[in-house]
Amino acid sequence: MMELLQTLQLLGQDLLGPAWLPVWTAVKIMIIILPIMGGVAYLTLAERKVLGFMQIRPGPNRVGYWGLLQPVADGLKLLTKEFIIPNGSNKFLFVAAPVLALTPALAAWAVVPFDDGMILADVNAGLLYLLAMTSLGVYGIIIAGWASNSKYAFLGALRSAAQIVSYELAMGFALVCVLLAAQSMNLGEIVRGQSHGTGMLGWYWIPLFPMFVVYFIAGVAETNRAPFDLAEGESEIVAGFHVEYSGMGFAIFFLAEYANMILIAAMTSVMFLGGWLNPFHGWPVLGAMTDAIPGLIWMLGKMSAMLFIFLWFRATFPRYRYDQLMRLGWKVFIPLTLIWVVVVAAWMQTPYWLW
Amino acid sequence: MNKLINFFKSFLLLELLKGMSVTGKYFFARHITVEYPEEKTPQSFRFRGLHAQRRYPNGEERCIGCKLCEAVCPALAIKIEVAERADGSRRTTQYDIDLTKCIFCGFCEESCPVDAIVETRVYEYHGEKRGDLYYTKEMLLAVGDKHEEQIAKDRAADAKYR
Amino acid sequence: MNFETILFYLFAAVTVFAALRVITARNPLHAVLFLVLAFVSSAGIWLLLEAEFLAITLVLVYVGAVMVLFLFVVMMLDINLEQLRKGFWQWLPVGAMLAALIVVQMVYVLGDKTTGAGMTAVRHAADYDNTKELGRLIYTDYVYPFELAAVLLLVAMVAAIALTFRRRRDTKTQDISKQVSVKRNDRVRIVSVPSVKKQEATESSAHVAE
Repeated sequence: MMELLQTLQLLGQDLLGPAWLPVWTAVKIMIIILPIMGGVAYLTLAERKVLGFMQIRPGPNRVGYWGLLQPVADGLKLLTKEFIIPNGSNKFLFVAAPVLALTPALAAWAVVPFDDGMILADVNAGLLYLLAMTSLGVYGIIIAGWASNSKYAFLGALRSAAQIVSYELAMGFALVCVLLAAQSMNLGEIVRGQSHGTGMLGWYWIPLFPMFVVYFIAGVAETNRAPFDLAEGESEIVAGFHVEYSGMGFAIFFLAEYANMILIAAMTSVMFLGGWLNPFHGWPVLGAMTDAIPGLIWMLGKMSAMLFIFLWFRATFPRYRYDQLMRLGWKVFIPLTLIWVVVVAAWMQTPYWLW
Repeated sequence: MNKLINFFKSFLLLELLKGMSVTGKYFFARHITVEYPEEKTPQSFRFRGLHAQRRYPNGEERCIGCKLCEAVCPALAIKIEVAERADGSRRTTQYDIDLTKCIFCGFCEESCPVDAIVETRVYEYHGEKRGDLYYTKEMLLAVGDKHEEQIAKDRAADAKYR
Repeated sequence: MNFETILFYLFAAVTVFAALRVITARNPLHAVLFLVLAFVSSAGIWLLLEAEFLAITLVLVYVGAVMVLFLFVVMMLDINLEQLRKGFWQWLPVGAMLAALIVVQMVYVLGDKTTGAGMTAVRHAADYDNTKELGRLIYTDYVYPFELAAVLLLVAMVAAIALTFRRRRDTKTQDISKQVSVKRNDRVRIVSVPSVKKQEATESSAHVAE
């Protein structure tokens, strides 16, 4: 795979000269984006399957073998549906909002390392960049809610924006702990910082376990997923900020939500679960057996595990009430993370810091 | 003290994990869905589906036009006209059931003195335009002819309870 | 005219355009969105200066948090444009003077060779870590001003909370932490009541029969 890309790059270099750089970057972007889009499509199927299995039913199984063509059918349906623009809406912003929601969700992938060196932009402030990009996603939602000129959409947008802004703080503090432990904001460095111990014992999820949990839960809240999906609570505000969207507009919001989910899963695996590292590295028998598996597989495996937990949450927990949600964010997570920042900083000064 | 224990318990997320273990267990449970067109649930012989008019083995229609079913029908779905036939017997000239009105209570079947109107086990029927579900005498007789074997068997199974 | 210069002029043009639209847009929400655009494009300019930490922080703090709250407030305001425009000509001279003052200051600082600001960005090697350098400066040379700024912000925050926070006696707010921490045993008492009291039931019926 890597050799193929290398030869391709050399070939293009000869062919196009200086104009090759933008073309090559575009190619690399496509190599990242297209699998994500496919992943999003099949994540929707996986979600329906997992929810189905947890409710002792088989889930979608009519389109294709085992329902495997269901995402294709859904995509086609949404593509061919009419994109309705409501009369009283602000037309430009109404159309721009889905794009604003999707762009940051995809742009954030630029700094995610899939394997050692398999990264689009090796930015020093990668962690900050990720935080910035995830916080930009809220604009799509707010603008969609406002431009729809609908009460439900507006309420949904307000809810989701307040939620995202408050959980971002807890998320940021949790990441500060990672940053302290890794002493770098470069995501590749963070993963390499976890390679010192034996396998999964060297990863940051052990010393930063509370932060791992807080980060993941805040990530669930950040992506407006159950049990924090008040922004689209069907029972009280129909579908929240995207009530007025139909066809492709709705599909793009859907893509953005699921791309964000995959991103949170990727970030959790990079920060706390050792990214591309082999969890059994250095273990007596398993280590030798599993070391041959490429890092990309480990990374994808960890992401899938995290995504499964996302779906598991959705199948298990009832929706939070809004004031409870705000309490959890401000009065539980933020104090907890603040305390743990101090604890980690102090711990790192002692000889008992083994990571 | 109790408060303190509860405080730590809530931070350990024990209750959430318990909930997740329940759903996690069901993830591996065998699903109980009946996949309808391929699989069907067992039916009782008292199943009340599409209506049918029956005939005697010699081909004579059973209905004598007593209008008991019309009288008992709570949804007013049955319409009957009666006239004397050439051989002097009392027969219906019109026997219509509007299946869009029918509530499938089974009173017509119970009230019938000659077991003429019955409800079959057929539930997979449909109409594509208005009026398609307005069943006339001919249609009901046709249903009866088609499913007579099953109908007779069901009546026989139910006989000792009536 | 290399690629970087083109990018700079592009970002600069967008920034200036967006900034102009912020003060000319009729719809306040559009003004806020143009302000967001101005922030993002100035972050782009900072990125061109290889100040990636500052650029991303600008996006993170201003675009990601501050402007969201701005949008919130503006979205819920019922703004009467007529009323807002009333005093425009009356206050124009004051505003113009302020603007002129700012321009003079900026020219003085940026145009002066001795301050060295705004001249040529210093090129660094690829492994130069802007973030680390910034952190070192903040916590060594400029530690007192930095802490002072932090304290100022804290004071502002406390003041804002003190101004808006009133504890009213007559509100019936719920204590969520109490609600959440309720256990089943606090609320439910399981009593086992036999459905039929055998001995007594026969006795009482006998009584009625008499």
